Amino acid sequence: MSDQPVGVIARLIQELTKLPGVGPKSAERMAHFLLAGDRHNCILLAEALESVATNVRPCGQCFNLTEGELCSVCRDPRREPGTICVVETPRDLAMFERTGSFRGLYHVLGGRLAPLDNVGPEKLTFDPLLKRVQRGGVREVILATSPTMEGDGTALFASNMLAVTGVNITRLARGLPSGSSLEIANSQMLADALEGRRAF
Amino acid sequence: MPAEKATGIVVRTTDWSETSRIATIWTRELGKVSVLAKGGRRLKSNFEVALDLLTVCGIVLLRKSSGGLDLLTEAQVVERFAGLRTNLPALYAGYYIAELLGEGTQDYDPHPKLFDSSLDTLRKLSAGGDPSALVAGYELEWLAELGLKPILDRCAHCGTQRLDTGMIAMSPMAGGVVCGPCGKEFNDRRTVSMDGLVCLNELVMGEHPAVGREVREVLGFYISSVLGRRPRMLNFIAVG
Repeated sequence: MSDQPVGVIARLIQELTKLPGVGPKSAERMAHFLLAGDRHNCILLAEALESVATNVRPCGQCFNLTEGELCSVCRDPRREPGTICVVETPRDLAMFERTGSFRGLYHVLGGRLAPLDNVGPEKLTFDPLLKRVQRGGVREVILATSPTMEGDGTALFASNMLAVTGVNITRLARGLPSGSSLEIANSQMLADALEGRRAF
Repeated sequence: MPAEKATGIVVRTTDWSETSRIATIWTRELGKVSVLAKGGRRLKSNFEVALDLLTVCGIVLLRKSSGGLDLLTEAQVVERFAGLRTNLPALYAGYYIAELLGEGTQDYDPHPKLFDSSLDTLRKLSAGGDPSALVAGYELEWLAELGLKPILDRCAHCGTQRLDTGMIAMSPMAGGVVCGPCGKEFNDRRTVSMDGLVCLNELVMGEHPAVGREVREVLGFYISSVLGRRPRMLNFIAVG
């Protein structure tokens, strides 16, 4: 006898368990919630999922998620094309956009270099980044990868790769978050803040 | 369930949920432990930033008797290797050490000497030491600590010390270097020159000779045979 679940509800539960942080019980609860409510909402959800799966693709220039050839940031003529902010994922890009303080363009790497997890440079979008910078018109590349060992390794790789282009390469500042107090800062935050201090 | 304290090197991390993290920590006192750090991804938690790869941290954990993941209750940074963040060959060498520790040893099998040796090698890498020589020396220490130290001063099969005649080779199955006549009996042999053998012996003595491609390949081959697969980081290790 097959141990695969049978029936459409079982299939739905099985699909929901593929979501991050969702186990069989949570998936079962979600499935029954969907079935107990307005069935029209189920159809709207299914349509939204299908639409995303069919229409969303990487931007032809920066690899952000988009429905067209270029994403909304790359299409925006008001953006400053001379500055490229390199981020790991489209989620990171969305975080920067939420700040509203960056007016340049982005480049999404698609992850971070993690050779221990079989993620080497060939699996990320380093080559398109190099070609983009070599095409000219870029003055500064901001490396906005995570402030972890792997994030720093990714930034280091990008920095070494871009060194031949002569572009100005910068790294995000690190240290104390605005609005916090010294009491809650950990030792590494303070050490980073001291190291990155600047004239006042 | 008493809490246990240890000092360890973070050799692997995986994000578990929006806020939690699973980490493999290679400790001096307990050996390799896999722990769940609830809230380990939060900026403000009991783990500070200690659960970053290759960070040395002091930890407090609750051991699970059921065989599940141990629960990490506290972690504090003891030492970080800033030099690895600015030197790619050194960083890759550090990753390789993490791979050997994480995947070449068993859970709860402590090797304090190997821990100290790992720490020492990471410090030297961070200070700008030659990654190829440091990695080669570390590989031999790793083999020795696991009871697999290759015999390099005589034929591992017949015991002759006259290795300067004929084609000599390294054979993991024989347990070290084999002389020309004995070499034919071992299919897993890899030829090594006299210069290469001298280099290997110098590494065993704790010296730091220039490690060429030949020695790098022989050691990589030996380690791969012991592990049963080629380490992922081996292709990233620079040749001096």
